[in-house]
Amino acid sequence: MTTQQSTTRVEQFMDDPIAFFGESLTQMHSIPRDELEELQRQAMAIRFDQHRQSIEMVRKLADRLRISELNDFNDVVPLLFSHTAFKSYPAVLIDNKRFDLMTAWLDKLTSHDLSAVDTDGCDGIDEWIDRLDAQTPLEVITSSGTTGTLSIIPKDKHGSREGMVLWKICLFQTFGKEPTDDELNPAVDVIWPNYASGKLGHLRIANMIKRGFTGGDERKFHALYPDAIDTDLMFLASKMRAAASRGELDRLVIDPALAARKDEFIAMQARQPEDLDRFFTTITDNLRGKRVFMIGAYNIMYDVASAGLQRGVKNVFAKDSAILTGGGLKGVALPDDYMDVIHEFLGVDRIQEGYGFSEQSAFHWGCSEGRYHVQPWVIPFVLDPETSEPLARSGRQTGRAAVYDVLLKAHWGGVISGDEVTVDWDLQCPCGQTSVAFERDIIRYSEKQGVEDDRITCAATHEVHNEAVNFMKAFES
Amino acid sequence: MNSAYTVPLFLRGELVTDNLVPFDVRTGGAQFDAPDMARYVDRLPLPTPMAMTDLNELAFDEILDVLEALGDALDFDRNTHLQEAYEAAMLANPLPGDMLKNSYQILRPLFSRTNVREIADSQVGLDYLNGWVPQQLSDGRELRVRAFGARVLHIPAGNGGLVSAVTILRSVITRCDTIIKAPSNDPLTAVAIARTLADVAPNHPITKHLVVGYWKGGDTAVEEKLYRPEHIEKIVAWGGFASVKHVTRYIQPGLELIALDPKRSATIIGRQAFDDDETMREVARCAAVDIGVANQEGCANARVIYVLSGTDPDGIANANKLGEMIYQELTGLPAFISTPPLHPSRELYEHVEASRMTDDWYRVIGGEHREGAVIVSQFDSAVDYSAMLSGRVANIVPVDSIDKVTDAVTSYTQTIGIYPESLKRALRDKLPLFGAQRLTTLGYACSVPLAAPQDAIEPMRRMCKWIVEEACDPDVVTPLWRLGEPAA
Repeated sequence: MTTQQSTTRVEQFMDDPIAFFGESLTQMHSIPRDELEELQRQAMAIRFDQHRQSIEMVRKLADRLRISELNDFNDVVPLLFSHTAFKSYPAVLIDNKRFDLMTAWLDKLTSHDLSAVDTDGCDGIDEWIDRLDAQTPLEVITSSGTTGTLSIIPKDKHGSREGMVLWKICLFQTFGKEPTDDELNPAVDVIWPNYASGKLGHLRIANMIKRGFTGGDERKFHALYPDAIDTDLMFLASKMRAAASRGELDRLVIDPALAARKDEFIAMQARQPEDLDRFFTTITDNLRGKRVFMIGAYNIMYDVASAGLQRGVKNVFAKDSAILTGGGLKGVALPDDYMDVIHEFLGVDRIQEGYGFSEQSAFHWGCSEGRYHVQPWVIPFVLDPETSEPLARSGRQTGRAAVYDVLLKAHWGGVISGDEVTVDWDLQCPCGQTSVAFERDIIRYSEKQGVEDDRITCAATHEVHNEAVNFMKAFES
Repeated sequence: MNSAYTVPLFLRGELVTDNLVPFDVRTGGAQFDAPDMARYVDRLPLPTPMAMTDLNELAFDEILDVLEALGDALDFDRNTHLQEAYEAAMLANPLPGDMLKNSYQILRPLFSRTNVREIADSQVGLDYLNGWVPQQLSDGRELRVRAFGARVLHIPAGNGGLVSAVTILRSVITRCDTIIKAPSNDPLTAVAIARTLADVAPNHPITKHLVVGYWKGGDTAVEEKLYRPEHIEKIVAWGGFASVKHVTRYIQPGLELIALDPKRSATIIGRQAFDDDETMREVARCAAVDIGVANQEGCANARVIYVLSGTDPDGIANANKLGEMIYQELTGLPAFISTPPLHPSRELYEHVEASRMTDDWYRVIGGEHREGAVIVSQFDSAVDYSAMLSGRVANIVPVDSIDKVTDAVTSYTQTIGIYPESLKRALRDKLPLFGAQRLTTLGYACSVPLAAPQDAIEPMRRMCKWIVEEACDPDVVTPLWRLGEPAA
């Protein structure tokens, strides 16, 4: 039985968890497990009902599987999307600049109505995304794929604003203490060890961070490279690698609009050593001892830290700075002491680590015990890595990570990852948080399978695909 | 983990099973033992090129005798070495039992006198193999050419017993000294054939010029010592991009690479297929065989199928109908040809399921139980994950004109199965420009002839050393020292 009052409570939980938990990290991760799971179950059922109406792909999948309502957590498992759902369009649509058809494809993946979007004369991916930004509530993010295509995830502006608030809550608050005003409204210098902007993958959040963390003063945003990364160029790189793996490089046609900008791209690359020098000069001259927010994947953090140490720059920031890293080691070999190197350069008290994937609403933050605590609006699953059947929600289980994120409104929140995780369902984490947590050791299945194997068949294999992924990741992470 | 079996080192007639170290295999996680090759690598190559003499002096009839006896002994029901290899392959190979067994049952006829003679004559030339072939050049000199065996290292592919058998057959015909690096997914077949050879021809030169062993591909402790011009003259490398690529670092003057590198195959079906239901059904049956044989693990299997149905609504409807028929025929194939794959690719099916949801562009037939599937593109392009197609998943691409079917062919394309014959003739001068290497009748893609070039090269001629002996009579062939002298 659902009373009117509890419906309202569930709705606030799923639509505005920030208010529901009083903007408090401590409250988010102190709610009793039973109470939370009941809220999650109800929220899941409601969100599914909404998305079944508003997202065509969800409706079609549910109809085909004859699923009309969700009661138990495991009911949602057959409806979880793979990463492929967000790149199922034919790549030739982009080659042919059929952004009208791309929009029609994306329309079936989002709850927002894209039928009125004008793509007339649209000349490339970046321009298309600009049109979507201007004409719809969407703020899509993209990421590279292994088949010469890009994933396009229809995030929206509401979600990105909410995401930044959630980041602030997790970054600046400490579990066990109610937030202070300063923690709720920090205005800090942002160190962004990457390209200043771009529509590709995580570059998209550069603007969100710029808006969310500097208190409106854009001069407080410091990027390693001042340029934007061009998504169309990245799409070409992705296609190049895929074409190489298929023996089709001789067929690859470079869009003339892009080819005309070749010199610009080369010049940008040539400027990078200069940019790097300027970046460190800014840090030492203007930011030494200041409280900052810096975010980057492990390998980027390590590269910047080593480059800084080589220049004699260390212990640069205020001890209470907020530093966030994560993203796995992305196939790059780092020395065992990489975290020490990062620490020495930054000179801060704590470096926070997060785990997540781009389809979700937020990271899951690492706790003092090294576990990644699942955000309360996210229902985690551990699946059999091959069959995707859910493993028991008790005891210690290792398998493929999947989540259903009830907070996501613009797109379907159920996704299966490529990561092997372990969850100890019965654990009460000594850190004090009541939430379920992923154990620290997380590895991508693709990396796990790539080692210790020299299997040969005479059909073409995917080594080159992996090379392509690494190539792309070097740019976007 | 306990090792499931041992891969011995077959060392010129001697069987070595000492100093075992464990190795992992991906599928099923079985582990096997093999002698630590770092301890034996010095004994693998011939001590001196002079040791080729006995092989060189072997009469071809004797080669035929030995190979025939070998073939007779390769009877799966009686040969315990083969049975052992089959048991090992069951643990290491993605193919189901019936199919693997079939790959051993087809070995015997390979070694028949008729077959061996045909391959030897068409792929090298009996005259050149067995003696000096004279020829008079226009400048008057007499030329005599003979094909000598070389010291060759082979890195065969591991899908089924055939590749190992073909490697040994080609090596014996060309009188080569042969070292075979066994593949991890079929570690015992080459050893089994070698052991059978030792049974039927103990101490014979052919037996003494054969080494088969396993080491992990890329093991520099073994490869840096062995892959040198003083030990071997040629490397025949089959297989994936990485395995061929990593061999290239050893290639230098005096050590040549014969690459049978990664290949994919395609299919082109003409308009005539849609003439009537009966024709369509027959075409579907042939296409299903090209897709399904050995569960699409091979390079010759059909993957992307271009059909000249047209892309108007009627054309798309025809393509869909053909897709349905191909799916029915595919799933109806007998188990020794094709079955649902034991290890379907999860990554591939993630893409297939995404295509199923994208029904504006793709129609997915079957695949709900990962038994194989047919994806019919509803426009004239292949799926973007076409390079992943395996485990009997094919993509039908309707096109409007013959110009568009060249999309099927790239530099990695090996076989093109074509229907009907008239279309093949119309395309045969054009497709090779883009990379196709073998054009065959639809339904025969995986029925690969051995008495023919392979991958657009002639591997057997390349395995030989082509030696020239010349005789020049100074009165006929003007010698250099007389150039410039006044004519007599």
